[in-house]
Parts: sequence; structure tokens; C-alpha cells
Amino acid sequence: MYAFDWSSIPGSLPFLWEGFLRTLSITLVAGLVGLILGTALALARLSSSRFLSTAAAMYVNGFRAVPSVMVLLWFYLLVPQLFASWTNALGWDSRFISALVAFSLFEASYYAEIIRTGVQSVGSGQRAAGLALGLTPLETMQLVVLPQAFRRMIPLLLTQAIILFQDTSLVYVIGLADFFGIAYRTGQRDGTLVEMLLFVGAVYLVICSVGSALIRRAKTRLTS
Amino acid sequence: MISLEAVSKWYGDFQVLRECSVQVEKGEVVVICGPSGSGKSTLIKCINGLEPIQAGRIVVDGTDVFNRKTDLPRLRSRVGMVFQHFELFPHLTVMQNLLLAPCRVRKLAGQEARQKSLALLDRVGLADQAEKCPAQLSGGQQQRVAIARALVMDPIAMLFDEPTSALDPEMIKEVLDVMMQLAQEGMTMLVVTHEMNFARKVADRIVFMDQGRVEVDRPAAEFFTEPGSERARIFLSRILSH
Repeated sequence: MYAFDWSSIPGSLPFLWEGFLRTLSITLVAGLVGLILGTALALARLSSSRFLSTAAAMYVNGFRAVPSVMVLLWFYLLVPQLFASWTNALGWDSRFISALVAFSLFEASYYAEIIRTGVQSVGSGQRAAGLALGLTPLETMQLVVLPQAFRRMIPLLLTQAIILFQDTSLVYVIGLADFFGIAYRTGQRDGTLVEMLLFVGAVYLVICSVGSALIRRAKTRLTS
Repeated sequence: MISLEAVSKWYGDFQVLRECSVQVEKGEVVVICGPSGSGKSTLIKCINGLEPIQAGRIVVDGTDVFNRKTDLPRLRSRVGMVFQHFELFPHLTVMQNLLLAPCRVRKLAGQEARQKSLALLDRVGLADQAEKCPAQLSGGQQQRVAIARALVMDPIAMLFDEPTSALDPEMIKEVLDVMMQLAQEGMTMLVVTHEMNFARKVADRIVFMDQGRVEVDRPAAEFFTEPGSERARIFLSRILSH
């Protein structure tokens, strides 16, 4: 029988917390940038300009067709070369920046598809009504279509954010110490890998389950 | 006021409008009727540029709708439109539905727009519903709000696209009453409808469309006694038979 040794966990909590904050900040930044960029991509894809819609479709399909680990590695190799002067000047960890950039761009492609479907789910009559009142096409999108689309998409967007929260653990491939990464390293160093991974696994499980439950509740409220 | 000259429109290979010409003078009420699929709804949507046309010309208050230089939003803001399915904005209250266009398009001050909106809601009998959401109203009430929403922009003309065909029978009258009152006040109106009693009471002219063509265009009184074409006669007898 394996003898569990949980004694090293309390002492590692401050480090784990630091990693957790890093995980959280990547999730929040990538979620927010992804949402904004994803909205722009969705609108470009739905626009009547063939150039815009093709360019957006290429972006979205491209990012969705490659594994996220690969995107992460690419940007890890690219960002230091492109932005070395910035990251050095600001004293930022270039691995952290490349993770932010990679996840933001990656998430944008997923959000774009969710938002595109949401916009299309708003009836064409609503658009016609906005235009008929004298609103410009842009105002109609901003004041009539998008508010309704976002309301319907909130559950899907939040679910995607939970997936993103889990996916951020992939940053261990570029050696960035996120919540999972720190647990892994500490566990390996102290010979308590099993306990550490069980512990962080439980934390992920609780956060994601609670998140999903909240989304389900919001969903029934939004659709009723 | 509104002039359509030989308007043609295609959906791919299918021709929905065939050289339609209709004139509506200021203060006139014109009813467009015809079997479903005859192109009447498409025609009315073309008038404020919601649907493009491929041939012909549409002029509203001296402005060519499909001229590239035409400021379409500005033109549309002066022409009221009421839809079959109301198309109130469900995420806004009744009052916000009315305020959207005056505040955004006309840049009217909030207080002024509010007073005007309340007066119009009162006129359609819904002043007490201002703070509700559209989903809390009946179909007839929603359509009356939609009419008020169009009127708040002081339109020079009103376009109605089958305003009562999505309504339960007991709600049709309340909407037609509002429209009749508008007509009596001298509003220029173009109405796509099957409500022949409404047409008989307020229409100056009836336009009968069939297969994308304007087949008959004559004074209302005359149309009911002498429909002017065999198809119009059959259509009329079918609609009036029950």
C-alpha cells in the first residue's frame, strides 16, 4: 500500500498560490483579448467584403487546425526574438508574454466561431428593423444584434473560458511555472509527485465544477 | 411622395418583381394585396432600400433610393416601417425601443424624446406599459408599440408589411384601429395586407399584385365592384367569401 505523505503541501502553498495567480492571469488576459479579437474576427467573417471574410476564415481555420501546444511553442520561439527589447526593458518574463500572446490569439479563433453563430442566431428581421429606423449598419450591429447575440452566447463563452483555464497548464512545455507547473516541479523535487498532482487536480476539479454549475444556473436564468 | 418606376428584382434566376410601377401621393393610403409569393412584401422592403433592386428606379420624397450618393440611413429615418413580426428589440424595454432612434439618429435630448415617446404610447393606448419588456406584451400590443416606435421619428410616410397577419384574430382590430386613425389624420401610407375591410374603409387606391407584376392599380371603391382582372376577381372572391 502506498503511504501518502501530505506534509509537504502546506509548506508549498505560497508557491502554489503564486502559480495559481499566473494561471489565472493568463486565463483572464487571453479570455479578454480573445473575446475582443474574436468579435472583430466574427464580424469580419460575416462582412460582405470578400477580402475580410476570407482573411478571417483563414485565421480561424488555421488556428483551429493546429494543436495548441504547437502554437505555444512557436510563440515561445518567436516572441523573444520579436519583442526582446520590450520584455527586457520592462523586466517581464518573455515566456509569460509568449504564453499570453499565444493563448490570446488561439482563443480568438474559438471565440470567433461562437460569436459568429450567436450573431447569425439573431433574426434578419431585427437587423432590418434597426436599419429601417435609420441606424447605420454598424450601429445596428452594436445596438441591436450584438447585445442579443452576447446574451445568448454567455454560457458558451464561459464554458470556453473554463476550457482555457485548464488548457493554460500546457505552459509547462515552455517551462513557465503556472499552478500545475509549480506543483509538478515541487513534487518531483520532494518526491511527493503523486500527492502534489492529486492536490492540484482536486483544485482544478473543484473550480471547474463550480464554474460549470454556475454557468448552468445562469443558462436557465438567461433562457427563461 | 413615393414613386416606383419599372422596378425589377431577381433572386438568382428567379424574377420576384417584374417592372412594377406604383405612385403614392402625399396623404394617400394605398393598399397592396395579392396571393402569397406575388412579391408584395419584397416590393415594400425595396422602398427603403432593405432589399436591392436590379432594374428600375425608386424615388422617395425626391430622393433616388438606390443612388450611390444617397444617405440611406437618413432617408430611412424619415420613412416609418412596421413589420409582420413586429421586430421590437427584445433586450430593451418598450420605452427604450422608442428612444433608440430619436436619441441615436436625431440626437434628440433625452427629456424631449421621452415626452414625445410617452405621448405616442398614450396615443396607441399603451402609456402604462412603457417600462415593460416586449415579451411581456401581447402580439397586438407589440405591434402597436412598433407603430409608435416608427411614429416617434415624425415619418413623412409609413410602410406596413402585413402588420396583422401574425396576430390572433381578436388582436387584429386594435392594430387596425390605430392604423385607421393614422390614415384619417392624413398620413401617407403604403400597406401590404389582406384586410379587405380595412382597405375598403381607408384606402384611396388598391394595387393588386400577382407573380411579381402590378396587375391592377385602381381607386378602392372601383376595385371592389370591378376588380379589373380575372385573377384579381378570383382573389377577391376567395378572400371575401368567408
